[in-house]
Amino acid sequence: MNSAKANILAKLKMQLPAATDAALPAEPAAAPEVRSPAQNVEQFVRLLTDNHAEVMRIKRAEIAASVKTLLQQRDINQLMCGSGWVDALQEIEGEISLNTFYPSIDGNKDTLFNSVPAAITGSRCAIAATGSIVLWPDASEPRSLSLVPPLHIVVVEQSAIYNDFGELIRKQRWSEQLPTNAVLISGPSKTADIQQTLAYGAHGPRELVVLLVE
Amino acid sequence: MPALPLASAKRHTSKRVYPPKPAQVYLFGTCLADTLFPQSGLDAIELLERQGLEVLFPQGQSCCGQPAYNSGYEDEARVVARHQIKQFPLDIPIVVISGSCGGMLRHHYLDMLKHDNDLEVAAFCERIFEFTEFLTCVLEVKLQDQGAPERVALHTSCAARREMDVHITGKALLEQLGQVELVEHDYISECCGFGGTFAVKHGDISGAMVQDKVKHLLATDAVRYVSADWGCMMNINGALEYQQEAFRGEHIASYLLRRTRGDNA
Amino acid sequence: MNTRANTIATDGSKYEASARQFRGNVARDLANPQLRENFRGAMDYLTDKRRQAFPSEDELETLRRKCQLIKQRCLLKLPELLEQLESKLEQNGIQVHWAETTAEANTIIAELIQRKNGTKVVKGKSMVSEETALNDHLQAQGIECLETDMGEYIVQMAGEHPSHIIMPAIHQNKSQVADLFAHNIPGFDYTTDVDTLIRTGRQALRDKFCHADVGVTGVNFAVAETGTLCLVENEGNGRMVSTVPEMHIAITGIEKVVELLDDVPPLLSLLTRSATGQIISTYFNMITHPRREGEKDGPKEVHLVLLDNGRSQAFADEELRQTLQCIRCGACMNHCPVYTRIGGHAYGTVYPGPIGKIVSPHMLGLEATKDLPTASSLCGACGEVCPVKIPIPKILLRLRKESVKAKGEPLVVKGQGCNRKPLEAGIWKLWSRLNTSPVIYAIAMWLASRGRWLTPAKAGAWTRVRTLPKPARRPLRELVKQREQRREGQ
Repeated sequence: MNSAKANILAKLKMQLPAATDAALPAEPAAAPEVRSPAQNVEQFVRLLTDNHAEVMRIKRAEIAASVKTLLQQRDINQLMCGSGWVDALQEIEGEISLNTFYPSIDGNKDTLFNSVPAAITGSRCAIAATGSIVLWPDASEPRSLSLVPPLHIVVVEQSAIYNDFGELIRKQRWSEQLPTNAVLISGPSKTADIQQTLAYGAHGPRELVVLLVE
Repeated sequence: MPALPLASAKRHTSKRVYPPKPAQVYLFGTCLADTLFPQSGLDAIELLERQGLEVLFPQGQSCCGQPAYNSGYEDEARVVARHQIKQFPLDIPIVVISGSCGGMLRHHYLDMLKHDNDLEVAAFCERIFEFTEFLTCVLEVKLQDQGAPERVALHTSCAARREMDVHITGKALLEQLGQVELVEHDYISECCGFGGTFAVKHGDISGAMVQDKVKHLLATDAVRYVSADWGCMMNINGALEYQQEAFRGEHIASYLLRRTRGDNA
Repeated sequence: MNTRANTIATDGSKYEASARQFRGNVARDLANPQLRENFRGAMDYLTDKRRQAFPSEDELETLRRKCQLIKQRCLLKLPELLEQLESKLEQNGIQVHWAETTAEANTIIAELIQRKNGTKVVKGKSMVSEETALNDHLQAQGIECLETDMGEYIVQMAGEHPSHIIMPAIHQNKSQVADLFAHNIPGFDYTTDVDTLIRTGRQALRDKFCHADVGVTGVNFAVAETGTLCLVENEGNGRMVSTVPEMHIAITGIEKVVELLDDVPPLLSLLTRSATGQIISTYFNMITHPRREGEKDGPKEVHLVLLDNGRSQAFADEELRQTLQCIRCGACMNHCPVYTRIGGHAYGTVYPGPIGKIVSPHMLGLEATKDLPTASSLCGACGEVCPVKIPIPKILLRLRKESVKAKGEPLVVKGQGCNRKPLEAGIWKLWSRLNTSPVIYAIAMWLASRGRWLTPAKAGAWTRVRTLPKPARRPLRELVKQREQRREGQ
């Protein structure tokens, strides 16, 4: 044990009185807002829209066409995606050039940062209370896909919207298994660091388009 | 800046259970009123007497101890606190005509004297009422306004607002005056910058704060402001006089008495 | 300390000197109308946002109570949780380093970077790294260390320190930022349009993320149960810094550990709503492992540096320990009438405002920060809004008490007794005597009222902006007595 650790722990332990946490009063349970699944969807859409994301409510069969339309509206003709999306997006391959992520980010950072205008990812689930999309990036959908390209398109299953973050953590037993990185995304990147004026696209995606699948 | 009257009133009432109207009360005059502004003490006594109460003013009382306590001299403050407790032996309410002294007597005495079991400190603290709180919540006074129509602003001390949680009661009293329109100044809940020794030890910061408070009060169309705390008023009135403004603050006891007595000087 | 008085310290001790300048700083900044306007505007914005974020007072109170108790529980188990955190993190492949002082933390970080032959570091927002003056230290070692949070980027460019813990560049308005960019960014086309200013920063920094060797961040919550580092942010720079470079070093204070993953959602909700009025930040980033086999991005090495820097001193006292409940939301400064007027730089400390006044004495010693505990009117606004219910005014009183403590008392806070002056102590003794002796008090009142014409016209700082009231012709006690006697006579 290095000396800094030993010293810090010794100082803390020496000072800690015999009291244990049992001496503390019970922590009150926060009453979660009760919403129906339909209200959860409404709230999720409203909060994300308020936070400057674009939400498109679509059917599963419409994913590829929606992606094509929204890319063409922005004059974008290429899209980076995880390997899992290649089949689903095959029908737009002719007009939009689809690229999967590199074997590794190492050695490919320059192109990732400078030549990828848009990326699409799926999501693990979503949270109604805060309008958040939950991503557990993995080998097929790496972390930087939802971060580096200026446009992030994310597909969210309407059936996977949880009431709030606490409920999600408990129901999915997150404490037993967490991925390398889990991230909650609640809008496009933004900042109000200059004179409290909100500006989008600080460092992450300038635009977040949510395809909410019924 | 809108206050949250309803929520605070609710919080307030949920915190404290008020006794029925007593026959006798003590007045804690506060050292500031004693030395500098005695008329407000007399006016408070008269108002309480008009409600049918006998008001006792123990001559042994002095300062609540706040100046030393706030300066870090707790031992010196503690001695003074014990002395005050002994001056108010009867089990009757103690009405304090200043929010910050009220906060000291009601809350800080408990902390400071937590090892003094014999003094029945908790019972003493439980008998402490801020003046507007007592009128509103214990006496449930009904005021008949006799004065001419006018607009006034209300400055509530931070201690009354945050320690005693009674800022709603001063407002409630003024709202009973039919001819008085209460106007709200900007940054109403912000401190006037008094803070006791703070005003001397950090005079420039305190000065900047009181100058802003004066600016916001003057920006209203009120003819005066009313307050239940001489610390703040000494600060704000002093700044007003320094700036040669005619606008002034009046202690709420004097104001209520004047309005309900009809001598609207 | 004196031995290095002539060199610029590249650790946290450099703030000792600036904290000592408090009074001069205050005078300087109070006299700057632009600065005062910038702070007032910013504080109005933030207090308003917070108010809107808590529509239900009951919900707010329940959540505050819950989070206060969560933090108190975690502090009561602190040593145990730190060990659990370390072992969980190491199981997950994240290496843990301990530092008692800011200098130790800087050395650990510099060595990690040098081991990778790193020369370019990008930093996410971290107040703890401000505490250690990490940028100065790395620069002295020839390592470029670039702030990437927009506010921090501006502040670093200006050669300043953050003036607010959440919005570091709040003291500057957009014209001042535009001027700064014009002087520092070649080819910048002068504009005060905020979108363009941000785009300019974005462009400059993307290249830096792309080529950095190491990323440094702070931590908002370190979860002992799972060995997870949580980062709260809006811009995405924290994610960039912890995703793109091959090494990620996080640094945090030992008080940031929470026991359970379940503790995180309420703390997160309270943090973002108290800080900026957001129900959640744009990104909530949870890091549990370095890049694993088969994964295509993410840092290959992740390190956590746990810093004490005086926290164990605060921990040792039950009352002062509450200081460590802080989740660094900044609400206390947003609502502070003193902070609003003097701004963040005047404090001279890393953490300004009410929380700065109660935490800095543990980091820098009470002697260097002796003017901070008294620079408060004790208005209570900070305690009223603190999301974890730290009784800040009470702790300020406690620090005042420590600062006037007599010699020979047991050591509680380094530098205690620094404000004790025999004359002042004597005056309070006399005052106490006066106020406990009815006879002496009555005589004093008699003298004051009869000698009212002796009241001076000038009385120090008080009469610089106010008049001084004269004692009344007769004190209240005499008038009451007369009144009683009149009645008895009737």
